Amino acid sequence: MIAAIKAPLIDWSALAPFTSLTVGAVVVLIAGLVGSARLRSWLVPGLALVTLAVTAVELLSRWNHPKVIVSEALRVDNLTVTLGLLCVGAAAFAVILSLRSDTEEGVGRGEYHSLLLFTTIGMLILIAANDLVTIFVGLELLSIPLYVLCATELRREHSLEAGLKYLIVGSVGSATLLYGLALIYGATGSTSLPKIGVAISDTGALTDPLLLAGMALAIAGLSFKASAAPFHQWTPDVYEGAPTPVTTFMATATKAAALGILLRILVGPLLPAVDDWAPVIAVIATLSIVVGNFGALGQDSLKRMLAWSSVAQVGYLLAGLVVATSLGIGALVFYLVVYAVMTLAAFAVVIENERTSDDGERLSGFAGLGRRRPWLAGAMTVSMLSLAGLPPTGGFIGKLAIINADASGGWMWLAIVLVLGSLVSLGYYLRVIATMWMTEGSAEKTPVVKQAREIVAVALLAAAVTIAAGVLPSWPLERAQDVGQTVISSR
Amino acid sequence: MSLTTYSWLVLAFPLTGSIILGLGHKVLKGKTAGAIGTSAILLSFLSGLGALRSLQSRPEESRQVVSSLWTYAQTGGLDVQFSILVDPLSLLMVLVVAGVSTLIHLYSVAYIASDEGYVRFFAYLNFFVFSMLMLVLAGNLILLAVGWGLVGAASYLLISFWYRRNTATKAGIKAFVINVVGDVGIVLGAIVIIQGTGAVDLLTVFAKAPQVWHTNDPQIVVGCLLLLVGAFAKSAQVPFHTWLPDAMEGPTPVSALIHAATMVTAGVYLIARMHPLFQIATTASDVGAIGGAVTLLVAATIGLVVTDLKRVIAYSTMSQIGYMIMAVSAGVYGAGLFHLMTHAFFKALLFMAAGSVIGAMAGEQNLDRMGGFRKVMPITYGCFIVGGLALSGIPPFSGFFSKDDILLGLGTQGGWYWALYVAGYVGALMTAIYTFRMIFRAFHGEPCEEAQSLADGRLFHAAEHRNPGDGTLEDTGVGYPGAKHHIAERSPSMSISMGVLAILATIGGVIQLPKVTNTLDHFLHPTFSDSPKFGLAIDYNLMAIGMVIGAVLGLLGIYIAWMIWVKKPGTSARIQARFALPYKLFSNKWYFDEIIAFLIVRPFAAAGRFFQRTVERVVVDGAITAGPISIARASSAAVRSWQSGMLRAYAAAVIVGAALLVLYLMLQA
Amino acid sequence: MNIGWYLAVSTIIFAIGAAGVLTKRNALVILLCLELMLNAANLALVAFSRMWGNGDGQIFAIIVMVVAACEVTVGLGLIVAIHRRGLVVDADELSELRG
Repeated sequence: MIAAIKAPLIDWSALAPFTSLTVGAVVVLIAGLVGSARLRSWLVPGLALVTLAVTAVELLSRWNHPKVIVSEALRVDNLTVTLGLLCVGAAAFAVILSLRSDTEEGVGRGEYHSLLLFTTIGMLILIAANDLVTIFVGLELLSIPLYVLCATELRREHSLEAGLKYLIVGSVGSATLLYGLALIYGATGSTSLPKIGVAISDTGALTDPLLLAGMALAIAGLSFKASAAPFHQWTPDVYEGAPTPVTTFMATATKAAALGILLRILVGPLLPAVDDWAPVIAVIATLSIVVGNFGALGQDSLKRMLAWSSVAQVGYLLAGLVVATSLGIGALVFYLVVYAVMTLAAFAVVIENERTSDDGERLSGFAGLGRRRPWLAGAMTVSMLSLAGLPPTGGFIGKLAIINADASGGWMWLAIVLVLGSLVSLGYYLRVIATMWMTEGSAEKTPVVKQAREIVAVALLAAAVTIAAGVLPSWPLERAQDVGQTVISSR
Repeated sequence: MSLTTYSWLVLAFPLTGSIILGLGHKVLKGKTAGAIGTSAILLSFLSGLGALRSLQSRPEESRQVVSSLWTYAQTGGLDVQFSILVDPLSLLMVLVVAGVSTLIHLYSVAYIASDEGYVRFFAYLNFFVFSMLMLVLAGNLILLAVGWGLVGAASYLLISFWYRRNTATKAGIKAFVINVVGDVGIVLGAIVIIQGTGAVDLLTVFAKAPQVWHTNDPQIVVGCLLLLVGAFAKSAQVPFHTWLPDAMEGPTPVSALIHAATMVTAGVYLIARMHPLFQIATTASDVGAIGGAVTLLVAATIGLVVTDLKRVIAYSTMSQIGYMIMAVSAGVYGAGLFHLMTHAFFKALLFMAAGSVIGAMAGEQNLDRMGGFRKVMPITYGCFIVGGLALSGIPPFSGFFSKDDILLGLGTQGGWYWALYVAGYVGALMTAIYTFRMIFRAFHGEPCEEAQSLADGRLFHAAEHRNPGDGTLEDTGVGYPGAKHHIAERSPSMSISMGVLAILATIGGVIQLPKVTNTLDHFLHPTFSDSPKFGLAIDYNLMAIGMVIGAVLGLLGIYIAWMIWVKKPGTSARIQARFALPYKLFSNKWYFDEIIAFLIVRPFAAAGRFFQRTVERVVVDGAITAGPISIARASSAAVRSWQSGMLRAYAAAVIVGAALLVLYLMLQA
Repeated sequence: MNIGWYLAVSTIIFAIGAAGVLTKRNALVILLCLELMLNAANLALVAFSRMWGNGDGQIFAIIVMVVAACEVTVGLGLIVAIHRRGLVVDADELSELRG
């Protein structure tokens, strides 16, 4: 009977992004053990970057080659490729941005980078998940290394506080999600997303309270990871407490992964229940827009302000999800990418300013930046304008696309909320710009630290991409539409 | 070159100028920046003239041209093109904006010369002109909203140009907040229109509108009312007007450019541009007309009591824009735009002349402290007189024809528009009074210290620089006004630009002499050919009566002003001697003076004080400016107090939130 | 077999866990309560697996156990790190970051 046990058929080429990341993470961990600190200081980030680059290439080669692999546990399609690239890119930039952060004694660079890579695998799995089990595994593989990463600055009390807070509140979120997944399994009898979809449309499980309760808990758990209100409260505290490169990574990649899987579940198997979940998502979106924008007003810490603003941004993104059409999904995907890029620019500037001045993370530390370092201030300006949704930036086009999708999908009021929320947001985004360009910094503050070229380069690159997405949006918009199409048609 | 090439060039020059100036702010030395900025706008104006020639050579029915530079986004249901609409209306605006801007740039070359932020000033100024031209050339609603927002941003930057002045930054923020309220109106209005017609392109929207909506359809009324909020906020109409007087904190060329000739007229342009929609939404049009009429009266009364030289002109601007808003809302498009044009000439002129006086006063703007500049600043005085006569509607100055054209258009339509007609003439009387009150107080009477010093051949410079608003001590570095002052008498670039405007303000009326030239009406016809109200047959009797009334009221107003502010006791003996005959004549009729003061000036002044005290401070500043701000503050505090830092509270929020979701979905089932 | 009973027990355990997280101040006890929440889900999974007669739920439950162990490990590690810094391991004391 031994012959009866067959190894599952594995498509190694489609699995390659996952395997290469895993191998890379382990290699980086081992490379962290190299004795020479000088060798380690470039070998570890270098290996991490190589790993990420290889993964990116492998992901790119899967564009337009949708495939379901590993016993239908993972689905590598255009959505996986797009958001996967986003997460891999965010990880690469996090590596670059943390090149100069002084590592604590005892916390090696190896662990730090290895954890970063493991989180990225978790994101990839989460985005590609085609099965409830994979969703949970992906989510936890994403979260657990992040808890540690938040707390890596062991000397700083805030870092530890952020780590533990994130861990406990995050685990509550995970448990909620898990219970929701269990209920969905109970209602449909399968953990595979396509089979769940079939069960729902065939057996009319739509009105099953088990399914609806499961759906509610799953939405709550994933909204938590995406930091949508009212599940957002960890966000400002953790963003402020965590090391800034880690915050950057969380603000961009984690959101993309959480929204990606939310999209996959809701517009996949749960699409027949759209009339049930769309109002829920609409309310969450509205709450996020209101709470996020008002929370960000008057914040003196840039990291906190960006955290609150990210809550509002998730609200805008969810507004695109409400319209479960390829139009709305395309808009969501486009805006998600733009959001990641503009947030990257903002955080890169914050990191650089943090390095070179004492109160670099406070708004007061930005006074006179336009005079001191015009390029850096320019990148920040572009980022703020784009986050506020002003032309000629990608943020403007993204919001326009979402508003358009909402208005044409019968969600007029949500579009209005979006517009009003954006106008409130001018109150804090423009404040940053005004502080940089129109106030005097204290003149005697001479930067003791050397300027970090690579961080400025990241900021400028991200700003340039933001502008490019605003001036020539057709190509990315069309790709985003492609992604929307594949999601809709894959079910 | 083709029409569209010219039109794109109109936009390209200011943009290029602002980019060059913005990038080169560290390199550019001396007057280079002024030369670059001015020539960029001049080239833009010349391109506008080229476009005009090219447009006029087309047959009349094809004088509305849409040109798309590139398809911005044409996917996923979005069809946004970077397109402009060139037609007589937009071209008229282009020529007015670019033309007046050129002169104001030229004026600024000298006016701002000693300022540390010289290059920055021209960069902002060019950016503003670009935004304004984009606003008027926009071929679709989205580009229109973008231009609308950009001019607001540029205005904010320019008002707060002296950014170390507290009063200036506060004024900038106030202007910005009210403008954002207006932007909400524009964006939401655009969304309503886009949803109704399914189009963003202006011409398509206009074509579809009559099929989609019936007269006074609630949807389009709401849409147009939202647009009106935007128009009122940008054009400083009651109750969204308080930012404009405060905006006088900006440098004087900015007041001349943005807050007199161009940006504040954007509301007028918007209503005229959207006339096919406003004609369907008649309720909204009526609201607009009444709002304009109220503004013109309220602003004129306040103009009678304000003592800050620039603020008098600012209130006058509000009042004059009230006329235009009233006109275009009531369907009197040709006259409204005619007045927009002449007003741009004479009001920019008045501001420039005021800038010259302020230069002589070393930054002081208080009318109470001025006096006797007539002899020592003849050019400035002449410009003030020309601008004042045009503003007061004295024939044959340009303002006379345009104002009477508006009122004639209202009178011709009859009905309740008669009330607006009467309001217009009451306003005209007050206009003449406050205008010449200002002139008499600044230029006649006992020469003040500064005028004396100018007469002795040296320009007055204060020992220490102070903020004229609140008296705080300043230096002359970046963010404060520069060390030197400039007056028209001594700066060729200032006097040239003032001279050109003075000529235009004098003869600008010939373009539209009723029954004689009518050039403007003919020119604008292609834009408004679909409007039943455009080109109504004129009642020539009414016209003749109106002109006589207008001229008489204007002269009467000047006379009253003269009676009260020149002839009052305590005027210098020199003035008495000069006006010996009339002085004797009227001093014997002492009571006549009193009666006029009692009957006309006192009630008006009292009303002005009342409006300033209650409507402005309490209602407007309270409800419209402070309202949103305090709501935002309170909400922000609420949200943040919820953010207790306690991780158990966060976990509770997650669990309660999840439970609520479950509950909701279970109830659905 | 009536699935209802299993579900009821599972729900109660989940609620106890949640209540524990909300009321306890000691971070260690909070971690225990989190485990309770995860195990409630495990119970539900196994029960559903039995009901449907397929193994999906059981596999899921085993994987959850593994993941839960990882989570606790990290949690304990953090608590040790906080303790080493001489701070009190009290959920309410960790409220420096707020607003």
